[in-house]
Amino acid sequence: MASIGNNSLNAKLVLLGDMGAGKSSLVLRFVKGQFLEFQESTIGAAFFSQTLAVNDATVKFEIWDTAGQERYHSLAPMYYRGAAAAIIVYDISSTESFERAKKWVQELQKQGNPNMVTALAGNKADLEDKRKVSTEEAQTYAQENGLFFMETSAKTATNVNEIFYEIARSMLFLGVLVSFTSTPATGLWCNGQSIWKCNRISHKSSKEELRTE
Amino acid sequence: MASDPTSLPSPSDLSIPNPSPTEEERLATLNLEEPTGNHAPIPRPLSNGSSLSADFDTGNEIEVAEEELLGDSTDLAEGSSSHGGGGWREISEQDGEVASCSPSSSGYAGERGSSGASSGIEEVDDGVALQDDWVPGKRHLDEDDASVSWRKRKKHFFILSHSGKPIYSRYGDEHKLAGFSATLQAIISFVENGGDRVKFVRAGKHQVVFLVKGPIYLVCISCTEEPYEALKGQLELIYGQMLLILTKSVNRCFEKNPKFDMSPLLGGTDVVFSSLIRAFSWNPATFLHAYTCLPLAYSTRQAAGAILQDVADSGVLFAILMCKHKVVSLVGAQKASLHPDDMLLLANFILSSESFRTSESFSPICLPKYNPMAFLYAYVHYLDEDTHLTLLTTSSDAFYHLKECRLRIEAVLVKSNVLAEVQRSMLDGGLHVEDLPVDSSRRSRSISPQMTQENNISGSRPPHMALGGPAGLWHFIYRSIYLDQYVSSEFSSPINNSAQQKRLYRAYQKLFASMHDQGTGPHKTQYRRDRDYVLLCWITQDFELYAAFDPLADKVSAIKTCNRVCQWVRDLENEIFLLGASPFSW
Repeated sequence: MASIGNNSLNAKLVLLGDMGAGKSSLVLRFVKGQFLEFQESTIGAAFFSQTLAVNDATVKFEIWDTAGQERYHSLAPMYYRGAAAAIIVYDISSTESFERAKKWVQELQKQGNPNMVTALAGNKADLEDKRKVSTEEAQTYAQENGLFFMETSAKTATNVNEIFYEIARSMLFLGVLVSFTSTPATGLWCNGQSIWKCNRISHKSSKEELRTE
Repeated sequence: MASDPTSLPSPSDLSIPNPSPTEEERLATLNLEEPTGNHAPIPRPLSNGSSLSADFDTGNEIEVAEEELLGDSTDLAEGSSSHGGGGWREISEQDGEVASCSPSSSGYAGERGSSGASSGIEEVDDGVALQDDWVPGKRHLDEDDASVSWRKRKKHFFILSHSGKPIYSRYGDEHKLAGFSATLQAIISFVENGGDRVKFVRAGKHQVVFLVKGPIYLVCISCTEEPYEALKGQLELIYGQMLLILTKSVNRCFEKNPKFDMSPLLGGTDVVFSSLIRAFSWNPATFLHAYTCLPLAYSTRQAAGAILQDVADSGVLFAILMCKHKVVSLVGAQKASLHPDDMLLLANFILSSESFRTSESFSPICLPKYNPMAFLYAYVHYLDEDTHLTLLTTSSDAFYHLKECRLRIEAVLVKSNVLAEVQRSMLDGGLHVEDLPVDSSRRSRSISPQMTQENNISGSRPPHMALGGPAGLWHFIYRSIYLDQYVSSEFSSPINNSAQQKRLYRAYQKLFASMHDQGTGPHKTQYRRDRDYVLLCWITQDFELYAAFDPLADKVSAIKTCNRVCQWVRDLENEIFLLGASPFSW
């Protein structure tokens, strides 16, 4: 769970998605700046931590990179329980992985923390010629489900840092909101949807501040 | 399939050595004597009070076999057909066709699969050192049972379900092998329906070994002339590896649905199985059922053990510190005992999965000999390139506690210089037959400094200088029975490439199987000469010694040398074994 103190925030973040979607590649690109063409399957879950500076605050991510294999599915709650943020990853060249991603969204909506900041990442955006999932389709799905959406490429590093920055920003913003209001958590989630949209727009217009109007 | 032997390579001209010593020509006798001590030809200060004697005046006859020309021709052929003898590359077992690139689950094509490179690996320190060169995972995915290349593979392993669904195949795509799997299943159930059990089938030079584990069937088809017991043991380990990943509770899936397709549950584990199968030809732990330690000064190992014990007392079930596949130290919570086979499978799982090297991992695993039904949770972290720490717990939410434990352990290991010592020992290597003390009466009890010095010397010795030990001793393995540990000498010049090493291990395996033969054994000693080696095996209540000599070695001096090896090992036991505080149940 996210906890705030002295302008710094500790946040547990979990990556979920089909095997081979590129969860580990995204994390390794973000944490170590590395990319391996042949990333081996993750066993169980791998733990990383990385600190980001967002404006005058810092966010320390404790990242759980889970294994996508079916046999580990039943363990997922162990990793997403108490998570402040989740990135659900699919591979734009695989409709199967997009369907799997939708299942993860449903599972999180049912089981996850209602305040969780959830992002949908369409990974392998460099494989444009093999694309099976259109940007519009994913964008629409994300909007309907209150997810923050980006297409990423761990290979070319496109949008990798950005997606983590966005999550950090949103969490800081939500954190501020939580500390200013006594809105019940579920209510906040409803607000969260609109906040998300505004937040993204404001991100494009200005990197300096967040606006809700 | 083996039911159609004409399609397989013909039995041809290969002679089949019979592993059973009872049917072998007995050309000489060798005596084993108990330490009555009044006519000992050599000094016998052996702490366990027994000695292998070279004189021929007392009772107990033992098996001696001389196989003059009955060499291990299969293995020889294997070695020569390989590309420069790179036994660590699976390709060396084959005829060298280039594997096609297979698409992997990632969109980026899995070109990892192409392993057709023809350069052999000449030098091998230990099995995992060559991971960079060895291509992990499964190759030849394009093959199926109709491919000539697939049929020519020397050793196949299959896992299938009792309904005949393929679960794993060493070569080829499981899904394309559905028909073949169904045939295997038909053979097994045909025999079962007759109220019997099929153990193995011989078809020409091929041996088909079956192992039935509830709803899971395991089959090995091999023309490597390994004994049945050895192949069955390998199937048992493959089954254990599967349990380590899934637990035995997978059987319940078959109770609910007999046609259950299990293969997706093993997704991404090809590399674990192929690494285990590779270990069958280089890692003696696979047939000795014992583990090996990294040589370290007694105090260094004690320091490592103390901090591991510390965390074990705080709710960790097992704490295992290893350098590659060698144990630095390990500790278990009270009454918890760890079986050497479980350690082998766990180490194989960790070492073969690159994923553990990237960060800290937390994963469910099952130790089949500890409890085949339940998962434990393993925290795995590499402290440096080779040294990895595994903390096992029964609690699924212990990650942060284990992470804390690891930080404490790491701090202590760095501060007490253990990690540096481990690295140094890795570089120095283990026991070198060239260093076998000449006169065992002049040895000293505390040899820690000398040992390090000797090893430094041998480590810097140019490889061509090493021509084996005294009396033509090339290699030995000493297994301490009550410690469940073994120590194996480093390979020296006559056995300096992986094909030769593999051949030697196969010879040891055969020796092991014949010594432990249930029908005629167990035996106490065996002296066997063939065109590759003189092999000498000696089993007592306390230890088993396997030694390989130059085929021209003199028998009397070989026996004397074995006595010296045993003495040497006992002198060094503080450094080469993990003593005391053992978590193993006696």
